[in-house]
Amino acid sequence: MKYIFLLLLSCTLDCYAQDDLVKMFGNDSVKTHEPVIATYKSTRIIQGHSPETLKKRELDFRVAHHFGDLGGEYGGAKTFFGMDNSSDVRIAFEYGITDRLMVGIGRTKGSGSLTQMYEGLAKYRLLRQTTDDHVPVSVSLFGNAVVSAMTSSITKSDASYFDKFSDRMSYTGQVILARKFNRNLSLTLSPTLVHRNRVVYKDVNDLFALGAGGRFKFSKRLGLLVEYFYPFRSQESKDYFAAQGRKFYNPLAVGLEIETGGHVFHVNFTNSTAILENQFIPETTTTWQQGQFRWGFNISRRFSL
Amino acid sequence: MKRITTLFAGICLTLSGFAQDIYSCKNTTLSFFSATPMEDIDAITSKGVSAINVKTGAVYFKVAVNTFKFKKSLMEEHFNENYLESDKYPTAEFKGKITDNIDLHKDGTYNVTVEGTLNMHGVDKVYREKATITVLGGKPTAESKFNVRLVDHKIKVPTLVVKNIAETVEVTVKANYN
Repeated sequence: MKYIFLLLLSCTLDCYAQDDLVKMFGNDSVKTHEPVIATYKSTRIIQGHSPETLKKRELDFRVAHHFGDLGGEYGGAKTFFGMDNSSDVRIAFEYGITDRLMVGIGRTKGSGSLTQMYEGLAKYRLLRQTTDDHVPVSVSLFGNAVVSAMTSSITKSDASYFDKFSDRMSYTGQVILARKFNRNLSLTLSPTLVHRNRVVYKDVNDLFALGAGGRFKFSKRLGLLVEYFYPFRSQESKDYFAAQGRKFYNPLAVGLEIETGGHVFHVNFTNSTAILENQFIPETTTTWQQGQFRWGFNISRRFSL
Repeated sequence: MKRITTLFAGICLTLSGFAQDIYSCKNTTLSFFSATPMEDIDAITSKGVSAINVKTGAVYFKVAVNTFKFKKSLMEEHFNENYLESDKYPTAEFKGKITDNIDLHKDGTYNVTVEGTLNMHGVDKVYREKATITVLGGKPTAESKFNVRLVDHKIKVPTLVVKNIAETVEVTVKANYN
Protein backbone atom coordinates (compact mmCIF):
# COMPACT_ATOMS: atom_id res chain seq x y z
CA MET A 1 0.00 0.00 0.00
CA LYS A 2 2.69 2.39 1.03
CA TYR A 3 4.62 1.59 -2.11
CA ILE A 4 1.66 2.29 -4.34
CA PHE A 5 1.19 5.60 -2.62
CA LEU A 6 4.86 6.49 -3.05
CA LEU A 7 4.76 5.44 -6.65
CA LEU A 8 1.73 7.59 -7.35
CA LEU A 9 3.25 10.45 -5.45
CA SER A 10 6.38 10.29 -7.50
CA CYS A 11 4.28 10.21 -10.66
CA THR A 12 2.39 13.31 -9.63
CA LEU A 13 5.62 15.09 -8.77
CA ASP A 14 6.86 14.30 -12.26
CA CYS A 15 4.14 16.50 -13.67
CA TYR A 16 6.17 19.53 -12.75
CA ALA A 17 9.19 18.45 -14.72
CA GLN A 18 9.89 19.92 -18.13
CA ASP A 19 10.12 16.44 -19.59
CA ASP A 20 6.44 15.97 -19.00
CA LEU A 21 5.65 18.60 -21.61
CA VAL A 22 8.10 16.87 -23.94
CA LYS A 23 6.44 13.49 -23.46
CA MET A 24 2.98 14.88 -24.19
CA PHE A 25 3.55 14.64 -27.93
CA GLY A 26 5.82 11.65 -28.30
CA ASN A 27 6.78 11.48 -31.93
CA ASP A 28 3.44 12.85 -33.10
CA SER A 29 4.96 15.87 -34.71
CA VAL A 30 7.17 13.86 -37.03
CA LYS A 31 4.93 12.81 -39.87
CA THR A 32 5.17 9.29 -41.20
CA HIS A 33 5.08 8.25 -44.87
CA GLU A 34 6.96 11.41 -45.77
CA PRO A 35 8.22 11.32 -49.35
CA VAL A 36 11.96 11.10 -49.82
CA ILE A 37 13.21 14.29 -51.40
CA ALA A 38 15.98 14.89 -53.90
CA THR A 39 16.76 11.35 -55.05
CA TYR A 40 18.45 13.31 -57.81
CA LYS A 41 18.88 17.04 -58.04
CA SER A 42 17.66 17.21 -61.59
CA THR A 43 15.04 15.63 -63.85
CA ARG A 44 17.89 13.90 -65.70
CA ILE A 45 20.58 11.58 -64.40
CA ILE A 46 22.93 12.38 -67.27
CA GLN A 47 21.11 11.94 -70.57
CA GLY A 48 18.39 9.65 -69.37
CA HIS A 49 15.60 10.61 -67.02
CA SER A 50 15.71 10.50 -63.25
CA PRO A 51 12.49 9.88 -61.28
CA GLU A 52 12.32 13.56 -60.39
CA THR A 53 9.68 15.79 -61.91
CA LEU A 54 9.29 19.55 -61.75
CA LYS A 55 7.04 20.96 -59.07
CA LYS A 56 3.76 22.61 -59.92
CA ARG A 57 4.16 25.88 -61.86
CA GLU A 58 7.89 25.44 -62.22
CA LEU A 59 9.61 26.15 -65.52
CA ASP A 60 12.91 24.50 -66.34
CA PHE A 61 15.07 25.91 -69.11
CA ARG A 62 17.54 23.28 -70.23
CA VAL A 63 20.54 23.29 -72.50
CA ALA A 64 22.45 20.11 -73.24
CA HIS A 65 25.53 19.91 -75.35
CA HIS A 66 27.74 17.09 -76.59
CA PHE A 67 31.09 18.01 -78.12
CA GLY A 68 33.04 16.00 -80.67
CA ASP A 69 35.25 12.97 -80.07
CA LEU A 70 37.92 13.68 -77.47
CA GLY A 71 40.38 11.24 -78.96
CA GLY A 72 40.64 8.97 -81.96
CA GLU A 73 40.45 10.02 -85.57
CA TYR A 74 38.40 13.18 -85.02
CA GLY A 75 39.76 14.20 -81.67
CA GLY A 76 43.10 15.28 -80.31
CA ALA A 77 44.75 18.67 -80.50
CA LYS A 78 43.56 19.44 -84.03
CA THR A 79 39.93 19.72 -82.86
CA PHE A 80 41.00 20.88 -79.39
CA PHE A 81 39.89 17.51 -78.02
CA GLY A 82 36.51 17.68 -79.68
CA MET A 83 35.69 21.20 -78.51
CA ASP A 84 35.63 22.48 -82.09
CA ASN A 85 32.78 20.17 -82.95
CA SER A 86 29.35 19.79 -81.52
CA SER A 87 27.87 16.40 -82.09
CA ASP A 88 24.50 17.24 -80.53
CA VAL A 89 22.73 20.18 -78.92
CA ARG A 90 19.38 20.30 -77.17
CA ILE A 91 17.43 23.32 -76.00
CA ALA A 92 14.20 22.73 -74.14
CA PHE A 93 11.53 24.20 -71.93
CA GLU A 94 9.90 21.92 -69.43
CA TYR A 95 7.04 22.73 -67.09
CA GLY A 96 5.40 21.23 -64.05
CA ILE A 97 1.62 21.03 -64.42
CA THR A 98 1.19 19.38 -61.04
CA ASP A 99 3.72 18.17 -58.49
CA ARG A 100 3.56 14.82 -60.24
CA LEU A 101 3.16 15.67 -63.92
CA MET A 102 5.58 17.55 -66.10
CA VAL A 103 5.59 18.23 -69.82
CA GLY A 104 8.18 19.69 -72.13
CA ILE A 105 9.08 20.72 -75.63
CA GLY A 106 12.58 20.60 -77.04
CA ARG A 107 14.62 21.08 -80.15
CA THR A 108 17.59 18.83 -80.66
CA LYS A 109 20.10 19.01 -83.45
CA GLY A 110 20.06 15.24 -83.72
CA SER A 111 22.95 12.90 -84.17
CA GLY A 112 22.61 9.69 -86.13
CA SER A 113 20.55 9.04 -89.19
CA LEU A 114 18.05 11.82 -88.47
CA THR A 115 18.52 15.49 -87.57
CA GLN A 116 16.36 18.53 -86.75
CA MET A 117 14.45 16.82 -83.98
CA TYR A 118 11.39 18.35 -82.31
CA GLU A 119 10.38 16.63 -79.13
CA GLY A 120 7.31 16.63 -76.96
CA LEU A 121 7.63 14.84 -73.62
CA ALA A 122 5.70 14.00 -70.49
CA LYS A 123 6.75 12.45 -67.24
CA TYR A 124 4.46 11.28 -64.47
CA ARG A 125 5.53 10.46 -60.96
CA LEU A 126 3.52 7.39 -60.08
CA LEU A 127 5.02 6.52 -56.70
CA ARG A 128 7.33 8.29 -54.31
CA GLN A 129 9.66 6.47 -52.00
CA THR A 130 8.84 7.29 -48.39
CA THR A 131 11.24 7.89 -45.52
CA ASP A 132 9.75 5.03 -43.48
CA ASP A 133 9.99 2.60 -46.45
CA HIS A 134 6.24 2.24 -46.58
CA VAL A 135 6.93 2.72 -50.30
CA PRO A 136 10.46 1.44 -50.89
CA VAL A 137 11.02 2.80 -54.41
CA SER A 138 10.06 5.75 -56.54
CA VAL A 139 8.39 4.97 -59.84
CA SER A 140 8.03 7.46 -62.67
CA LEU A 141 6.75 7.03 -66.20
CA PHE A 142 8.33 8.88 -69.08
CA GLY A 143 7.29 9.13 -72.70
CA ASN A 144 8.21 11.28 -75.64
CA ALA A 145 7.34 11.73 -79.28
CA VAL A 146 9.96 13.07 -81.65
CA VAL A 147 9.57 14.32 -85.18
CA SER A 148 12.41 15.02 -87.57
CA ALA A 149 12.03 18.12 -89.71
CA MET A 150 14.91 17.33 -92.04
CA THR A 151 14.52 17.17 -95.79
CA SER A 152 13.75 13.66 -96.95
CA SER A 153 16.54 11.73 -98.59
CA ILE A 154 16.03 10.71 -102.20
CA THR A 155 17.60 7.30 -101.61
CA LYS A 156 14.80 4.90 -100.72
CA SER A 157 16.96 2.68 -98.51
CA ASP A 158 17.99 5.53 -96.18
CA ALA A 159 16.51 5.93 -92.72
CA SER A 160 15.89 9.55 -93.65
CA TYR A 161 13.78 8.69 -96.68
CA PHE A 162 10.31 9.77 -95.64
CA ASP A 163 7.53 8.29 -97.70
CA LYS A 164 4.90 9.72 -95.41
CA PHE A 165 4.86 12.05 -92.41
CA SER A 166 4.72 9.27 -89.83
CA ASP A 167 8.11 8.03 -91.10
CA ARG A 168 9.59 11.05 -89.35
CA MET A 169 8.32 9.97 -85.94
CA SER A 170 9.95 8.04 -83.14
CA TYR A 171 8.92 7.40 -79.54
CA THR A 172 10.41 6.45 -76.21
CA GLY A 173 8.53 4.90 -73.32
CA GLN A 174 10.26 4.35 -70.02
CA VAL A 175 9.55 3.17 -66.50
CA ILE A 176 11.98 4.69 -64.02
CA LEU A 177 12.49 2.76 -60.80
CA ALA A 178 14.68 4.49 -58.26
CA ARG A 179 15.70 4.24 -54.68
CA LYS A 180 17.61 6.67 -52.53
CA PHE A 181 19.52 4.33 -50.26
CA ASN A 182 20.90 7.09 -48.10
CA ARG A 183 21.68 10.77 -48.41
CA ASN A 184 24.63 9.97 -50.65
CA LEU A 185 23.59 7.02 -52.77
CA SER A 186 20.71 6.79 -55.24
CA LEU A 187 20.28 4.03 -57.83
CA THR A 188 17.96 3.73 -60.78
CA LEU A 189 16.76 1.04 -63.18
CA SER A 190 14.92 2.10 -66.31
CA PRO A 191 13.32 -0.47 -68.61
CA THR A 192 12.93 1.39 -71.89
CA LEU A 193 11.25 0.90 -75.24
CA VAL A 194 12.31 2.93 -78.25
CA HIS A 195 10.03 2.77 -81.24
CA ARG A 196 11.09 4.22 -84.58
CA ASN A 197 8.49 4.22 -87.33
CA ARG A 198 11.09 4.00 -90.05
CA VAL A 199 14.32 2.06 -89.87
CA VAL A 200 16.73 0.74 -92.45
CA TYR A 201 16.95 -2.90 -93.58
CA LYS A 202 17.73 -5.30 -90.71
CA ASP A 203 17.30 -2.59 -88.12
CA VAL A 204 14.51 -2.98 -85.56
CA ASN A 205 11.44 -0.77 -85.14
CA ASP A 206 11.00 -1.68 -81.48
CA LEU A 207 14.10 -1.84 -79.38
CA PHE A 208 13.99 -2.73 -75.71
CA ALA A 209 16.76 -1.49 -73.48
CA LEU A 210 17.56 -1.55 -69.80
CA GLY A 211 19.04 1.56 -68.32
CA ALA A 212 20.94 1.63 -65.05
CA GLY A 213 22.12 4.77 -63.35
CA GLY A 214 23.20 6.13 -60.06
CA ARG A 215 24.50 9.02 -58.08
CA PHE A 216 27.04 9.13 -55.34
CA LYS A 217 27.25 12.44 -53.54
CA PHE A 218 30.59 13.19 -52.02
CA SER A 219 29.64 16.59 -50.69
CA LYS A 220 26.41 18.53 -50.22
CA ARG A 221 26.62 20.04 -53.67
CA LEU A 222 28.80 17.67 -55.66
CA GLY A 223 27.82 14.28 -56.94
CA LEU A 224 29.26 11.63 -59.21
CA LEU A 225 26.82 10.26 -61.78
CA VAL A 226 26.95 7.09 -63.83
CA GLU A 227 24.51 5.97 -66.49
CA TYR A 228 24.48 2.94 -68.75
CA PHE A 229 22.01 1.56 -71.27
CA TYR A 230 21.93 -2.01 -72.50
CA PRO A 231 19.86 -2.29 -75.70
CA PHE A 232 18.50 -5.78 -76.46
CA ARG A 233 19.25 -5.71 -80.16
CA SER A 234 19.10 -9.11 -81.85
CA GLN A 235 22.39 -10.77 -82.65
CA GLU A 236 21.34 -11.07 -86.28
CA SER A 237 20.86 -7.33 -86.55
CA LYS A 238 24.13 -6.64 -84.73
CA ASP A 239 26.05 -8.99 -87.05
CA TYR A 240 24.50 -7.53 -90.16
CA PHE A 241 25.51 -3.96 -89.25
CA ALA A 242 28.93 -5.05 -87.98
CA ALA A 243 29.58 -6.66 -91.37
CA GLN A 244 28.81 -3.29 -92.95
CA GLY A 245 31.32 -1.60 -90.64
CA ARG A 246 28.66 -0.14 -88.34
CA LYS A 247 29.19 -1.72 -84.98
CA PHE A 248 26.82 -0.73 -82.15
CA TYR A 249 28.03 0.07 -78.66
CA ASN A 250 26.19 0.51 -75.41
CA PRO A 251 26.04 4.08 -74.17
CA LEU A 252 27.98 4.68 -70.98
CA ALA A 253 28.21 8.10 -69.40
CA VAL A 254 29.91 9.40 -66.28
CA GLY A 255 29.30 12.86 -64.96
CA LEU A 256 29.74 15.34 -62.21
CA GLU A 257 26.71 17.12 -60.74
CA ILE A 258 27.20 20.59 -59.32
CA GLU A 259 24.36 22.40 -57.63
CA THR A 260 24.52 26.14 -57.12
CA GLY A 261 21.19 27.35 -55.77
CA GLY A 262 18.77 27.54 -58.71
CA HIS A 263 21.18 26.01 -61.23
CA VAL A 264 22.16 22.42 -61.64
CA PHE A 265 25.20 21.96 -63.80
CA HIS A 266 26.29 18.60 -65.18
CA VAL A 267 29.65 17.98 -66.74
CA ASN A 268 29.81 14.57 -68.30
CA PHE A 269 31.73 12.23 -70.52
CA THR A 270 29.93 9.79 -72.77
CA ASN A 271 30.56 7.64 -75.82
CA SER A 272 27.17 8.42 -77.36
CA THR A 273 26.99 11.34 -79.72
CA ALA A 274 23.24 11.87 -79.48
CA ILE A 275 21.31 13.39 -76.58
CA LEU A 276 17.81 12.00 -77.21
CA GLU A 277 16.93 8.49 -76.01
CA ASN A 278 15.36 7.90 -79.43
CA GLN A 279 18.84 8.11 -80.94
CA PHE A 280 21.49 7.28 -78.36
CA ILE A 281 19.89 3.98 -77.35
CA PRO A 282 19.55 2.46 -80.85
CA GLU A 283 22.23 4.32 -82.75
CA THR A 284 25.42 4.65 -80.70
CA THR A 285 28.28 3.53 -82.90
CA THR A 286 31.09 5.24 -81.05
CA THR A 287 33.13 3.60 -78.32
CA TRP A 288 35.16 4.64 -75.31
CA GLN A 289 37.92 2.26 -76.35
CA GLN A 290 38.82 4.25 -79.46
CA GLY A 291 38.77 7.65 -77.85
CA GLN A 292 35.30 8.21 -79.23
CA PHE A 293 33.94 9.78 -76.12
CA ARG A 294 33.20 13.39 -75.60
CA TRP A 295 32.56 15.80 -72.89
CA GLY A 296 29.19 17.36 -72.62
CA PHE A 297 27.16 19.44 -70.25
CA ASN A 298 23.61 19.93 -69.07
CA ILE A 299 22.50 23.24 -67.68
CA SER A 300 19.19 23.45 -65.91
CA ARG A 301 17.73 26.72 -64.67
CA ARG A 302 14.48 26.45 -62.78
CA PHE A 303 12.01 29.30 -62.35
CA SER A 304 8.98 29.36 -60.09
CA LEU A 305 6.17 30.99 -62.03
CA MET B 1 -10.99 -0.60 1.49
CA LYS B 2 -12.54 2.71 2.41
CA ARG B 3 -9.10 4.16 2.89
CA ILE B 4 -8.04 3.02 -0.56
CA THR B 5 -11.13 4.55 -2.17
CA THR B 6 -10.53 7.84 -0.40
CA LEU B 7 -6.91 7.79 -1.41
CA PHE B 8 -7.78 6.97 -4.99
CA ALA B 9 -10.36 9.73 -5.16
CA GLY B 10 -7.82 12.08 -3.67
CA ILE B 11 -5.23 11.17 -6.27
CA CYS B 12 -7.74 11.56 -9.07
CA LEU B 13 -8.55 15.01 -7.79
CA THR B 14 -4.92 15.99 -7.58
CA LEU B 15 -4.27 14.65 -11.07
CA SER B 16 -7.15 16.60 -12.54
CA GLY B 17 -5.86 19.59 -10.62
CA PHE B 18 -2.49 19.29 -12.35
CA ALA B 19 -4.08 18.78 -15.74
CA GLN B 20 -5.55 22.26 -15.57
CA ASP B 21 -2.07 23.69 -15.31
CA ILE B 22 -0.92 22.15 -18.56
CA TYR B 23 -2.27 23.38 -21.83
CA SER B 24 -1.27 22.17 -25.26
CA CYS B 25 -1.55 23.27 -28.85
CA LYS B 26 -1.25 20.86 -31.75
CA ASN B 27 -1.44 23.43 -34.52
CA THR B 28 1.24 25.86 -33.48
CA THR B 29 2.15 28.26 -36.26
CA LEU B 30 5.81 28.87 -36.92
CA SER B 31 7.17 31.04 -39.68
CA PHE B 32 10.42 32.65 -40.63
CA PHE B 33 11.45 35.48 -42.83
CA SER B 34 14.69 36.78 -44.19
CA ALA B 35 15.25 39.62 -46.61
CA THR B 36 18.23 40.14 -48.90
CA PRO B 37 18.71 42.38 -51.92
CA MET B 38 18.36 39.27 -54.11
CA GLU B 39 15.22 37.69 -52.77
CA ASP B 40 13.00 37.34 -49.73
CA ILE B 41 12.75 33.96 -48.16
CA ASP B 42 9.72 33.09 -46.11
CA ALA B 43 8.18 29.85 -45.00
CA ILE B 44 5.38 28.82 -42.71
CA THR B 45 4.04 25.75 -40.98
CA SER B 46 1.05 25.25 -38.72
CA LYS B 47 2.01 21.72 -37.80
CA GLY B 48 4.14 22.57 -34.79
CA VAL B 49 3.20 21.37 -31.33
CA SER B 50 3.51 23.23 -28.07
CA ALA B 51 2.68 22.91 -24.42
CA ILE B 52 2.69 25.29 -21.48
CA ASN B 53 2.50 24.68 -17.77
CA VAL B 54 0.91 27.82 -16.36
CA LYS B 55 1.86 26.86 -12.82
CA THR B 56 5.58 26.29 -13.35
CA GLY B 57 5.99 28.49 -16.42
CA ALA B 58 7.56 25.69 -18.43
CA VAL B 59 7.08 25.96 -22.18
CA TYR B 60 7.81 23.52 -24.97
CA PHE B 61 7.79 23.75 -28.75
CA LYS B 62 8.51 21.13 -31.37
CA VAL B 63 8.21 21.16 -35.13
CA ALA B 64 9.04 18.75 -37.95
CA VAL B 65 11.41 20.71 -40.15
CA ASN B 66 10.03 19.25 -43.38
CA THR B 67 6.56 20.68 -42.73
CA PHE B 68 7.69 24.22 -43.57
CA LYS B 69 6.12 25.38 -46.81
CA PHE B 70 7.86 27.84 -49.14
CA LYS B 71 6.54 29.81 -52.07
CA LYS B 72 9.30 28.41 -54.27
CA SER B 73 9.39 24.64 -54.21
CA LEU B 74 13.06 24.50 -55.09
CA MET B 75 13.80 26.63 -52.02
CA GLU B 76 11.90 24.13 -49.93
CA GLU B 77 14.01 21.29 -51.31
CA HIS B 78 17.24 23.19 -50.69
CA PHE B 79 16.09 24.16 -47.20
CA ASN B 80 15.56 20.50 -46.32
CA GLU B 81 18.45 19.01 -48.21
CA ASN B 82 21.26 21.53 -47.94
CA TYR B 83 20.59 23.82 -45.00
CA LEU B 84 18.52 22.20 -42.26
CA GLU B 85 19.34 18.65 -43.41
CA SER B 86 15.97 17.41 -42.25
CA ASP B 87 16.82 13.78 -42.98
CA LYS B 88 19.54 13.95 -40.30
CA TYR B 89 17.82 16.40 -37.99
CA PRO B 90 14.06 15.95 -38.52
CA THR B 91 12.83 18.24 -35.75
CA ALA B 92 13.53 21.56 -34.11
CA GLU B 93 12.73 21.74 -30.41
CA PHE B 94 12.58 24.41 -27.77
CA LYS B 95 12.49 23.75 -24.03
CA GLY B 96 12.15 26.80 -21.87
CA LYS B 97 10.72 28.55 -18.89
CA ILE B 98 9.00 31.85 -18.27
CA THR B 99 11.35 33.76 -16.01
CA ASP B 100 8.81 36.32 -14.78
CA ASN B 101 6.81 35.68 -11.65
CA ILE B 102 3.24 36.00 -12.88
CA ASP B 103 0.00 34.15 -12.36
CA LEU B 104 -1.19 32.81 -15.69
CA HIS B 105 -4.40 31.47 -14.14
CA LYS B 106 -5.77 35.00 -14.32
CA ASP B 107 -7.04 36.57 -17.55
CA GLY B 108 -4.93 39.33 -19.02
CA THR B 109 -2.07 40.14 -21.34
CA TYR B 110 1.43 39.56 -20.05
CA ASN B 111 4.75 40.56 -21.56
CA VAL B 112 7.16 37.92 -20.39
CA THR B 113 10.68 36.74 -20.96
CA VAL B 114 11.27 33.14 -21.89
CA GLU B 115 14.60 31.49 -21.42
CA GLY B 116 15.48 28.12 -22.82
CA THR B 117 17.34 25.96 -25.25
CA LEU B 118 16.56 25.72 -28.93
CA ASN B 119 17.78 22.59 -30.64
CA MET B 120 17.88 23.09 -34.38
CA HIS B 121 20.04 21.39 -37.01
CA GLY B 122 21.32 19.26 -34.14
CA VAL B 123 22.85 22.26 -32.36
CA ASP B 124 21.70 23.58 -28.97
CA LYS B 125 21.67 27.26 -28.22
CA VAL B 126 20.29 29.15 -25.24
CA TYR B 127 17.88 31.95 -26.08
CA ARG B 128 16.38 34.64 -23.86
CA GLU B 129 13.50 36.21 -25.76
CA LYS B 130 10.43 38.36 -25.21
CA ALA B 131 6.99 36.84 -25.60
CA THR B 132 3.42 37.91 -25.15
CA ILE B 133 0.98 35.66 -23.36
CA THR B 134 -2.71 36.44 -23.40
CA VAL B 135 -5.01 34.55 -21.11
CA LEU B 136 -8.68 34.67 -22.02
CA GLY B 137 -11.25 32.61 -20.21
CA GLY B 138 -8.40 30.77 -18.55
CA LYS B 139 -6.91 29.67 -21.86
CA PRO B 140 -3.51 31.06 -22.78
CA THR B 141 -2.25 32.22 -26.18
CA ALA B 142 1.45 32.77 -26.75
CA GLU B 143 3.23 34.79 -29.36
CA SER B 144 6.89 35.57 -29.87
CA LYS B 145 9.21 36.96 -32.49
CA PHE B 146 12.95 36.48 -32.30
CA ASN B 147 16.06 36.31 -34.43
CA VAL B 148 18.07 33.22 -35.19
CA ARG B 149 21.58 33.52 -36.55
CA LEU B 150 22.37 30.70 -38.95
CA VAL B 151 25.96 30.36 -37.73
CA ASP B 152 24.72 29.69 -34.19
CA HIS B 153 23.19 26.46 -35.43
CA LYS B 154 26.02 25.56 -37.79
CA ILE B 155 23.92 26.15 -40.89
CA LYS B 156 26.42 26.87 -43.61
CA VAL B 157 25.67 29.08 -46.57
CA PRO B 158 28.05 28.61 -49.50
CA THR B 159 29.82 31.77 -50.66
CA LEU B 160 28.19 31.46 -54.07
CA VAL B 161 24.69 32.10 -52.73
CA VAL B 162 25.68 34.22 -49.76
CA LYS B 163 23.94 37.23 -51.31
CA ASN B 164 20.64 35.35 -51.51
CA ILE B 165 20.50 34.18 -47.94
CA ALA B 166 20.55 36.43 -44.90
CA GLU B 167 22.75 35.66 -41.90
CA THR B 168 19.85 36.19 -39.55
CA VAL B 169 16.27 35.05 -39.95
CA GLU B 170 13.30 36.36 -38.02
CA VAL B 171 11.22 33.59 -36.49
CA THR B 172 7.60 34.05 -35.43
CA VAL B 173 5.76 31.56 -33.22
CA LYS B 174 2.11 31.56 -32.30
CA ALA B 175 0.23 29.03 -30.19
CA ASN B 176 -3.39 28.95 -29.10
CA TYR B 177 -3.52 26.58 -26.17
CA ASN B 178 -6.44 24.58 -24.97
